[in-house]
Amino acid sequence: MKKSVGCQVSGVSKNGAKDFCASALLRFCSAALLLFTVYCLLSTVADAKIYIDITSPAIKKLPIAIQEFSGTEGKQIADIIRDDLEFAGFFLSIDRAAYIEKSTEAFNPKNWTVIGAEAVIKGTVHGEQNLTAVVSLYDTSEAREVLRKEYKGARASIRHLGHSIADDIYRHITGEKGIFRTKVAFVAEDEGKKGLYTMDWDGTDIKRLGIKGNFVLRPHWSQDGSRIVYSSERGGQWGIYLLDFTKMTEKKVFSSRGLNISGNFSPDGDEIMFSSSQDETYGLYNLRFSDSKVTRITSARWIEISPAVSPDGKLVAFVSDRGGTPQIYIMNRNGHDTRRLTFEGSYNTSPSWSPENKKIVFVGRVSGKHQIFIISPDGSALTQLTDKWNNEDPSFSPDGRFIIFSSDRNGGSGIYIMRANGESQKKITPPWLRAFGPRWSPN
Amino acid sequence: MKRIFLLFLAFVLVFVFAGCAKKVVTAPVTQEAPKETAQKAAPVEQTPMKAEEPVTVAKAEPKKVETMPVKEVEAKSYQFGNILFDFDKYTIREDAKPTLKSVADWMIKNKDAKMILEGHCDERGTNEYNLALGEKRAKSARDYIASAGVTKNRLDTISYGEEKPLCKEQTEDCWQKNRRVQFVSGKAGK
Repeated sequence: MKKSVGCQVSGVSKNGAKDFCASALLRFCSAALLLFTVYCLLSTVADAKIYIDITSPAIKKLPIAIQEFSGTEGKQIADIIRDDLEFAGFFLSIDRAAYIEKSTEAFNPKNWTVIGAEAVIKGTVHGEQNLTAVVSLYDTSEAREVLRKEYKGARASIRHLGHSIADDIYRHITGEKGIFRTKVAFVAEDEGKKGLYTMDWDGTDIKRLGIKGNFVLRPHWSQDGSRIVYSSERGGQWGIYLLDFTKMTEKKVFSSRGLNISGNFSPDGDEIMFSSSQDETYGLYNLRFSDSKVTRITSARWIEISPAVSPDGKLVAFVSDRGGTPQIYIMNRNGHDTRRLTFEGSYNTSPSWSPENKKIVFVGRVSGKHQIFIISPDGSALTQLTDKWNNEDPSFSPDGRFIIFSSDRNGGSGIYIMRANGESQKKITPPWLRAFGPRWSPN
Repeated sequence: MKRIFLLFLAFVLVFVFAGCAKKVVTAPVTQEAPKETAQKAAPVEQTPMKAEEPVTVAKAEPKKVETMPVKEVEAKSYQFGNILFDFDKYTIREDAKPTLKSVADWMIKNKDAKMILEGHCDERGTNEYNLALGEKRAKSARDYIASAGVTKNRLDTISYGEEKPLCKEQTEDCWQKNRRVQFVSGKAGK
């Protein structure tokens, strides 16, 4: 998933989709990348008014009207935008039944201020198989159009089109990058075998990746979103495998006797950390892809597993039972300065960092059940986010505002998302799919 | 100076705006067929069938769901019974020692034999930690057998964590059955 050179970052294009800059523009864009950056900064600071300060602790939701677009699939596109923005949690979408203005009529602020809308989205869609949508965002108090943009996309990938629009609107209103085009890689069970799957962050467009092996563990994304790394048991051996989405190829990067379980990528994508019991002792290792160099970082008679490199690449959180029970520890990348992070409870595992290195989300056992907690890397601010059933495999969304996890609540095993404060827990996988081990794509 | 900068900025903005405004988002069109592609491209070895694995599991594809091959695994007869472990522990219990001794005796008698020790857990841990725990259980059993005079290279270990339960009820009885090391003889260690 490459980044586009424009102001917005392109969506998840693991299927090698063409980027949206025309080639001439693209050439210009690359030449003027720096200027673009300047412009983007200016546009958020000087030009765009930030309607919702989502960094503020007390957020007033913005009342927004999202009108059915006129033309092909107009309702569906508007619904996708509405669902995205509603889930983000900073918007209050006004019921369409209250709208006075028809979707074909021109924007008139008076029609909207009376129903309390502070922002209005209107759009038109043309085309049959290839759709062109023109979308406008209006500020009702200033009585003007503040954003207008044209989008093109195949009707078959209409959800992607809707998510792209939602991303732009979210960015315009909050000043931050949206996550509506992101994906989730996860493990699900099919015919008694576990396989890897991907889906959109909202649980749609589920696809099974055709990889072998009876068992597979949760995947980890490279920070550019082009690859995932995971462990799989094949032929009586646990190996570590790398799947490249740009080529749709899989390659074994490490295997040996004993247990080998992949951790995550380093920020530059050239290294992964993993745990292995290949020798007599457990150890955490670093594998560098560019020269295939494997470096042993720790060596332990006890269990050491689940290494998680921090997004800044400086620290590693991992699980060790050196103190008699599994607890989370933090050390430097070189294995030095190890300190224990968790002290509450007798079972704390599965650490994962927030994108800004500020929090670690993990699983702790409370009364025999697994619950999700967050904690600061200095050990302060421990907060429990779930309290019923078993909840496992947590990790943050790329903007750090959400946490994705698996849960066996109500007897099924599915994937859920919630806000990073534990609010709005919602299942995103369908009831017929037993799913676990989700990881949110970085872009 | 300031004016020049502003002029420059205006120029840049106009230019860039023209570029940006025309920018059109094309949602990715081609949906990949990951299955075929990945399989074709993947340079990975075929999965050899494991000794204890029921044949029915191995055939891929049909689109029904989740029948864990529990009973069939159980029905296989083993030369040695499973040894059991306490919750969250990988220390060898007293009641496991007679089995381990008989495995060691048998291996000393059958000099060509190799043994795979499979470590398993109950479902109550988190996935990765359970795999580590299963591996530790298998290694504890291996070390015990080795200490009775069997060379370690005849003893291989693998962990399945909570992935291959013998019993799927949520009772202590059932969990205890799952916290085990199973002995699978005959396959060469790598």
